[in-house]
Amino acid sequence: MPDQITFTHESEMPYVPISQGDMEWNKTGTWRTQRPFYEDKTPPCNAVCPAGNDIVSFILRIVNGDFEGAWNLIREENPFPGICGRVCFHPCEGKCNRGRFDEPIAIHALERFVSDFASHLPGQKVNGTKRQEVSKKRKERIAIIGAGPAGMTCAYHLARLDYDVTVFESLPFAGGVLRTGIPSYRLPREVLDRELSAIEALGVKVQTGVPLGPAMKMEDLRSYGAIFIAAGAHRSKRLHVAGERSRHVLSGLEFLKAINLGEDVDIGASVAVVGGGNTAIDVARCLIRLGKHPIILYRRTREEMPAFEEEIGEAIEEGAEIKFLVSPVRIREEKSLKRLECLRMKLAERDETGRRRPVPVPESSFFIEAESVIVAAGEETDLSFLPRGVKKRDGIVLTQTNGRTAVDGIFAGGDFASRERTVAHAIGSGKRSAVAIDCYLKGEDPEKVLQSLLVGNGPSISVFPFFHPGGPSRNPHVVAFEELNMDYFEKARSEKETKYPLPERIKGFFEVTSSLNERTASEEAGRCFNCGTCNECENCYTFCPDASILKGARSLSHEVDYDFCKGCGICFTECPRRAISLREEAR
Amino acid sequence: MSEESDLPQGGSKMKRIITGNQAVAYGVMLSHVELISAYPITPQTTIVEELSELCARGRVKAQFLKVESEHSAMAACIGASTGGVRAFTATSSHGLAYMHEMLHWASGARLPIVLVNVNRALGPGWNIWNDQSDSLSQRDTGWIQLYCERNQEVLDTVLQAYRIAESISLPVMVVLDAFVLSHTSEAVDIPSEEKVDGFLPPFAPKYPVDPMKPVSYSGITTPEYYLEFRYKIQKAMEEVPEVARDVDHQFRSRFGRGYDLVERYGKDEGEVLLVTSGALTGTARTVIQKMAEKGHKVGGVKVKMVRPFPSKEIGQALQGAEKVAVIDRNISFGVGGILAQELRAGLYHREKKPPVFGFVAGLGGRDITPDVIEEAIQYTLDHSRPDGDILWLGLKK
Amino acid sequence: MKKMEIPSSENLGRGHLACAGCGAAVAMRLALKALGEKTVLIIPASCWSIIPGPWPYSSLRIPVIHAGFVTGGATASGIRAALDIRGHENALVAVWAGDGGTFDIGLQSLSGAAERNEDFIYICNDNEAYMNTGTQRSSATPYLAWTTTTPAHHPKENPKKDIMAIMADHHIPYAATATISYPEDLIRKIEKAKEMKGTRFVHLLSPCPPGWRIPSEMSVKLSRLAVRSRVFPLYEIEDRKYTIQEESLKEGVPVEQYLRLQGRFSHLKSHEIERFQKMVDEQWERLLKRARC
Repeated sequence: MPDQITFTHESEMPYVPISQGDMEWNKTGTWRTQRPFYEDKTPPCNAVCPAGNDIVSFILRIVNGDFEGAWNLIREENPFPGICGRVCFHPCEGKCNRGRFDEPIAIHALERFVSDFASHLPGQKVNGTKRQEVSKKRKERIAIIGAGPAGMTCAYHLARLDYDVTVFESLPFAGGVLRTGIPSYRLPREVLDRELSAIEALGVKVQTGVPLGPAMKMEDLRSYGAIFIAAGAHRSKRLHVAGERSRHVLSGLEFLKAINLGEDVDIGASVAVVGGGNTAIDVARCLIRLGKHPIILYRRTREEMPAFEEEIGEAIEEGAEIKFLVSPVRIREEKSLKRLECLRMKLAERDETGRRRPVPVPESSFFIEAESVIVAAGEETDLSFLPRGVKKRDGIVLTQTNGRTAVDGIFAGGDFASRERTVAHAIGSGKRSAVAIDCYLKGEDPEKVLQSLLVGNGPSISVFPFFHPGGPSRNPHVVAFEELNMDYFEKARSEKETKYPLPERIKGFFEVTSSLNERTASEEAGRCFNCGTCNECENCYTFCPDASILKGARSLSHEVDYDFCKGCGICFTECPRRAISLREEAR
Repeated sequence: MSEESDLPQGGSKMKRIITGNQAVAYGVMLSHVELISAYPITPQTTIVEELSELCARGRVKAQFLKVESEHSAMAACIGASTGGVRAFTATSSHGLAYMHEMLHWASGARLPIVLVNVNRALGPGWNIWNDQSDSLSQRDTGWIQLYCERNQEVLDTVLQAYRIAESISLPVMVVLDAFVLSHTSEAVDIPSEEKVDGFLPPFAPKYPVDPMKPVSYSGITTPEYYLEFRYKIQKAMEEVPEVARDVDHQFRSRFGRGYDLVERYGKDEGEVLLVTSGALTGTARTVIQKMAEKGHKVGGVKVKMVRPFPSKEIGQALQGAEKVAVIDRNISFGVGGILAQELRAGLYHREKKPPVFGFVAGLGGRDITPDVIEEAIQYTLDHSRPDGDILWLGLKK
Repeated sequence: MKKMEIPSSENLGRGHLACAGCGAAVAMRLALKALGEKTVLIIPASCWSIIPGPWPYSSLRIPVIHAGFVTGGATASGIRAALDIRGHENALVAVWAGDGGTFDIGLQSLSGAAERNEDFIYICNDNEAYMNTGTQRSSATPYLAWTTTTPAHHPKENPKKDIMAIMADHHIPYAATATISYPEDLIRKIEKAKEMKGTRFVHLLSPCPPGWRIPSEMSVKLSRLAVRSRVFPLYEIEDRKYTIQEESLKEGVPVEQYLRLQGRFSHLKSHEIERFQKMVDEQWERLLKRARC
């Protein structure tokens, strides 16, 4: 502790003013009226990810060259990075702050890269992270209906919590809509199988070929401690037009399921595909690969199409024709050709989905001819096997956000219990229900626990603190673009995944996009702003006028020395990513 | 012009006919000065030129910084002295005035720098001739001031100056008259290097700058401590007379000649004692001798050390004087001749205070002839009290 | 991801008296990392005479000689000579002067030393006014800026003196501009200067929160805007060859962005800002022309 120096007699003093000591006794921290402190915050990507991924952190690991670490980190939250990296609608990229500067980070590509990298690791390491205090299998058994993304994610986290989990799947294969609804040129079968096997390797039992109803009833599951129903939405919505239920008119879901399960499908050379979602687009692209000629009929415009923009673009590249503002009103058959009577549509005011409602233009009918028709107008659940007491409305099971139904011990999630029908939402709901089930079986309040695990303002949760208690929790402050300091970034193009060139691309069902490599992944990861997360860029240390930023102290990578910090705020301003906060300090 | 063969080796005595400025140069050479930094100004220029010549010929092994002003000359000396080497500069008149800020700094930093000032008048109008106002108006800067009567004394005083300065850690100003000494040749004994080395050891600074020692020099000093530093400077000044006497004593035993801080000459008891400093004293000696032979009770006092003001020694020297006459070749406007003023102050506390006749003469090189000196002494003999604080000699009226 | 790579040595202790957010404190801290321990630093009167603290303390961890306001160049010449005589030829002599002690009162001493090509590094810490005495104008104060001696209704009417051109015309081996928002550039330049002999001059811009009338957290940002708006381009002159740093070759941002953030320019009307922009553009063209020759 440096002392002050005092002289009481002139004879003690040197005869010239030569310094005798330093100023470290002068605690200039007392000058402060504002106080900087390190505080990691939630980046917008994390905040919007329905699966609760810690995107910024896994990207940081890629930057540091720790690809395996990145993979392990993703799998703390989400067992399906290889799948999500390929099929997720990546809302994270839509919210990415870098998008306001040049181009958003290709997060999906990085997620996929990490998973593909891990697939080459020796012995295919599985993330066996288990909750620290639990060392043996728990006695409670949990039944899950449906081996799709929601069900398998729930199974995954419950298995990590050492529960005995059995998943009942009606089809001969696990995967749900991942298997039946998404073609292999988007999601190769080996990626799907690999990530499903990894969950089974944790001890999850998957019984395939066990549909509810004939083979098994809900009552048979009474011995289980809890049940999670994630049976998905696999019934096709009908157009409700005349001629819909005739030959050579198929549902899109049935068509895709047949293709994806390797079955033959009897379909004509020209096909009218009615619909505008991913199913319609996937149907068209499958048809092209089968050498057929699809025409997509959609009642609104391209802007309103619910399908992913990239998918629409790829479909058009591959030769799909799309007719917008067209709706069939009748399907006739004439000389073994289907004849669709269609009306032109125009857009009126917005409906409940926020999209402008299509209204028919009077006397605009015209005809489209095709050998086959495929209707891909949406999907619906089959709620027929639900036990008594479980409430439902408008075709979905009613649940709390955590998945609880009206019946104690019965939970539901995924497409079965929500209109947010994406893989990422399904994963998120499986995760939430796993926590809720764990709380239910322990007699704890699930809402309280889930509240503590919220990412941003929710509803996504992170289970990382659940498995690693004592670690940092997620901060509700979501970092906005205006809070970043662009002075430290140079414009750079995003690394794009390469696509298989045409015309070879449509010659088969092999994967269209190929992964980034280590170099391109590292460069793309390097573009990430790391919003709200200290990445040790050392700006704060460099610019502090009082040398009061200490490096490498204890567990934090940086610390403010409050004895001397004058509260100027330079560190706060020059932190490119708002990892430092500033608050007023009363004196 | 110096010639190598003329400079003495070994212990032999060798006299040469040299000017006051040349004597300075030899003094600097023999003192093994390590850093010279000076800016030319008449009538100091030949010091600098002589030193340049000696440097170029390797006789003076000093670094010669040809700075661009006198202020910088003193700043460079301060830098060099702080850096731990023996430093020297010379100037005159406006150059000294320009240096004024740095004179304060040198003494405040307790640096044993030696400065030779050739006494010259201050303008306007420009005047390059003999006048003591330049050095005396710097008397508050904390420098020791030593005045010289002859060229020999000039050389010897430079050597003594380094001894005194380095013993007490205060800078010393050695003063000689313009042209009368600076450019006038006299016979001067130039001691051998060996003999001087025995008298003047190398500079051993107390706090030389060490690149590996992170200390700060001369930083801001608050009211809490500044007083004590100033106290120490005054205390050091108070020790100077004794130190100077000691140094002169050693000088005498080695070189066979020396100089009192205050020298009383002429009759033991004088009705009138004439106080002078500088080359004027030489003329005064002659006049006083002549007048004494004529039966006047007159004697003389030469003041060598003006700072610190040697009150004790002056008091002793003026013992028995009925009246004191001072010839100041300088003036402090609003008061009068500076030596006279200092003398009056020095005598104030004594019981017997002889009247002090303050004569101001010779400003701007106006010749002070023996007649002028005689006039002053005669006036003093003839009057019981002076007719005013300032008595002008030679004024055209 | 860009990480600042600067030396980890700290030769500026804490507890010093600089204002919160002082640009000159950032500057000194960074410069000391480049200068190294074996430096004798001469500080003529300026903010840095006060900042290290009063006797008997000093927060500077190298030998420091405080010197008269006028005397940067001359004191350095004397110290250099003394160190060489005493065998410390590999010790570095450096001067840290303010804009007053360089552009105005200290110009003579600096010019003399530079003409003699004395061997030291001279760093002018330019905060564009006599800040230590309370923000009076200097010849480094920018055109139209407010200071206490150029108040808002009668702001500074003359443009800033071009000290780099003045120093270059002394034929010294090295002159460079630098500022706190480009720490690696600043350190590189000082380390480069260290390897040379003769008079090396660094013109270092340091924003001053109280004097520029800016919040304390804006010092680094304004230093960057000064560069990006070309008010203070980054360049080096080595043996008469000009190198303009890439950062300054980028397209300049409008000077209004720089001026509007500072209280000392808050009285400026749009036609005055236009005039300022024109001056900056002309100054830039002049630099390019000189660089080409």
